[in-house]
Amino acid sequence: MGMSEKKGSSIGRGALAATTLALAGAMANKVHAKGSGIIKLGLLGCGGRGNGAIRQCLAGDPGTEVVALADLFEGKTRGTRDGLMKDGNFKGRVKIDDDHLFSGFDCHEKIAASDVDLICMATAPGFRGRQLMAAIKAGKHVFTEKPVATDVAGCKEVIEASKLAEQKGLAIVCGTQRRHEMSRVELFKRIHAGEIGELVGGQCYWYGGGIWYHGVDANQSELEWQCKNWYHFTWLSGDQICEQHIHNIDVMNWCFNGPPRKITAMGGRQTRDYSNQAKEVCRKLNKGSEQGWEKYNGDIYDHITAEFEYANGARCMSFSGHGPGQGRNGEKILGTKGASDCQGRYWGEKEWRYQGPNPDGMLQEHVDLLKSIRDGKPLNEGIRIAESCLTAIGARIAAYTGKTITWDWLINECKQNLVPPQEKMKPGPGFFYPIPTGNEKLM
Amino acid sequence: MTRRSFVKTGAVAAAGATALSAHLGHHLVFADANAKVRIGVIGCGKRGAEAARACAKIEGVQVTALADVFQDQVDALKAELKVANALVGFDAAAKLLALKDVDAVLLTSVSAFRPQQFAAAIEAGKHVFLEAPAAICLAGVRMVQAAAAKAGEKKLSVVTGLNGRHDPACIETMKRIRDGAIGTIQSAQCYSNVGVAEPVRKQAHASDVENQMRNYRSYVWLSGDHICDRHVNNLDILNWAFNALPDSVHGLGSRQCHKGEEYGNVYDHFGIEYAYPNDIRTISMCRTIEGTEERIGERLAGTKGVSNGRGVIEGANAWKYDGPKVDPLVQALTDLVKAIQTGTPVNDGQAAAESALTAVLGRESAYSRLQFKRSAFEAKCTQSLLPPQDLKLGPMPVKPPAMPGPYVWEGFPTGEGGKKK
Repeated sequence: MGMSEKKGSSIGRGALAATTLALAGAMANKVHAKGSGIIKLGLLGCGGRGNGAIRQCLAGDPGTEVVALADLFEGKTRGTRDGLMKDGNFKGRVKIDDDHLFSGFDCHEKIAASDVDLICMATAPGFRGRQLMAAIKAGKHVFTEKPVATDVAGCKEVIEASKLAEQKGLAIVCGTQRRHEMSRVELFKRIHAGEIGELVGGQCYWYGGGIWYHGVDANQSELEWQCKNWYHFTWLSGDQICEQHIHNIDVMNWCFNGPPRKITAMGGRQTRDYSNQAKEVCRKLNKGSEQGWEKYNGDIYDHITAEFEYANGARCMSFSGHGPGQGRNGEKILGTKGASDCQGRYWGEKEWRYQGPNPDGMLQEHVDLLKSIRDGKPLNEGIRIAESCLTAIGARIAAYTGKTITWDWLINECKQNLVPPQEKMKPGPGFFYPIPTGNEKLM
Repeated sequence: MTRRSFVKTGAVAAAGATALSAHLGHHLVFADANAKVRIGVIGCGKRGAEAARACAKIEGVQVTALADVFQDQVDALKAELKVANALVGFDAAAKLLALKDVDAVLLTSVSAFRPQQFAAAIEAGKHVFLEAPAAICLAGVRMVQAAAAKAGEKKLSVVTGLNGRHDPACIETMKRIRDGAIGTIQSAQCYSNVGVAEPVRKQAHASDVENQMRNYRSYVWLSGDHICDRHVNNLDILNWAFNALPDSVHGLGSRQCHKGEEYGNVYDHFGIEYAYPNDIRTISMCRTIEGTEERIGERLAGTKGVSNGRGVIEGANAWKYDGPKVDPLVQALTDLVKAIQTGTPVNDGQAAAESALTAVLGRESAYSRLQFKRSAFEAKCTQSLLPPQDLKLGPMPVKPPAMPGPYVWEGFPTGEGGKKK
């Protein structure tokens, strides 16, 4: 890449940021949670992460109460309520009536229509766009787990919902907690101020062990089973690069103050194998037949190596996957005058280390969210997280197709839409795609 | 003897290259400038034929002998270049090396055989064009290092087929990078995403070994996988620019698209991180999947500028190579001939061995998904893919492709990962 491209600003948020700015403050804040009253919380998605998130949200502000739960499976809502009732940390703040337990494929619409002020979202990522849109349309503040989408259409829906939230004075905070860690916040101020010079390269990693695989429960349809095993299917999880590695990719984008302009990637699936369990699932769902069992193995990769080329020409590595071997998790950024661990330290011509308090980011993100609501200055991270999500999705598309792709193409031309429409979401057959070959056609 | 301490003329390798030849110095210096440099070609496939043709065009050079395992490989070239002596079979290389009217050999056979052929060539007192990769396994690397050292002692020339080492654009760029033109390198990438696969169709009448040798790129035991076969050229540029070998490696890869029998047991892509001294981490990518984006080259980004490693420097010390453009293969052979004619030996053995080692490190890390230090791998790994000396045309079962987890070599540095802080 030419040096001319390397010079100048590394900020590349482009049209998206401009739109947001134009909309900011366009509408008066009419949301009733402002001030000192009780903020009523609802949880959408009662799995492990949802149970964690609602507790962190309750801990984030003493004036919160949880009043509604929603999940695809009714049993999950009841189990979650029982657990919260027993949890000594939140005595008197768990007030969930039976008619505030919502289940089924339309549970996000039911909870959006309820009297909650804020919804914590932690279902399978594929549904997030429509869930976020429903919540914002209904005037709810949102804490959403990452990622916020699994395809390009989903990212665009999140961007639309975020613009709407801006107009309506609603908050959207996302569970990319690194953005709420004080050590990183202080560090990135300094990186952006040029303390390590112009950025010339970086790396980010999330390579870890394998994941769970669930069998079929009694009376479960294929789609319900698939939703329970969401991680194994790209349309539901976005693949590991989107579901998990997004944290580190988001940090890379934070370094450069925007998404990459070009992405090259390669990947594959050499080790993920659930043959025995998948055959059992196949038999249970298909009257004892093992024909076509392979689809129950899932379609995600087990590794992707990607390169992000940012606006100033710097090329950064992304290294992700699941499997045997050395686990990696973290980031590093290098500039013309030094380097940083992206956590709280830089070295080189100048040296600095963060020494202040550093509360857990997974709690702090809720503190920041709730405070912003009370202060009448709602945080809105929607577009930023949609961009980071789209970066991960772009890398996945590059790996699945073997094509180098540009940000312009992703945002303006790519028609990818993997998640079936809401009307098709009902107990019945699942939605399956083949494992990508590495030279799939671009959509 | 070496610019870095990593070369250890280990016991295994030293055993391969025995006592000095009694004929030491026999053809070392061409007192008579009019005498022809006589070339023998070991390995008459596509690359061997290309190199032989290039040699035939160089003034003062004559191709005098050909050797290949297969008759048809030598036949065409024999007629084309009017070569008197054509040898066929697994012992053809040894027979050629015994010929008195051969001053230098082109080692362009299937990669797996190169370390042993190189050691034998130096033993026989021949100058060598050493095609890249020089080796495809650690034992082979050791053998090449020992033979290269012996070549130095015997004042024999060794010229590598690595495509940067005899390209003036590359040489001039590297000089400037070494002199600090781009400052301290902070980030680097190299690619061999070729976007094609070239499997050779199986012949029903042929033996397994013949079929596999004719389709050598698809078999790890013969090519070392395509990270060795092609990407070694790009890895060499990184080693050269850093003036160092990577300290540690962590690789990913798989066989995602090419699963058919014609693809043997190689992977179709590798995405690897090599960490050079001072924890400067680099990206290496190589891919042979049909229909995927082509990208071949390197990028070096330093504190003062950026370079492609091959003729362009941007930044504070911007510069562009404007000398003659050469074919690196022709230039390497020309340099070899000139070194022989003038009696001023050149020896690329070190770069050849180190680039091969770098490729092997990446492959082994990707096959195992283990992150390890080069020092630990070099010290402990017992890996050898050197073919048996009594190899014959016959059955050869194909080992399954590497599966991370079960894949391991004795002495693999599994425990000491070089895990980063």
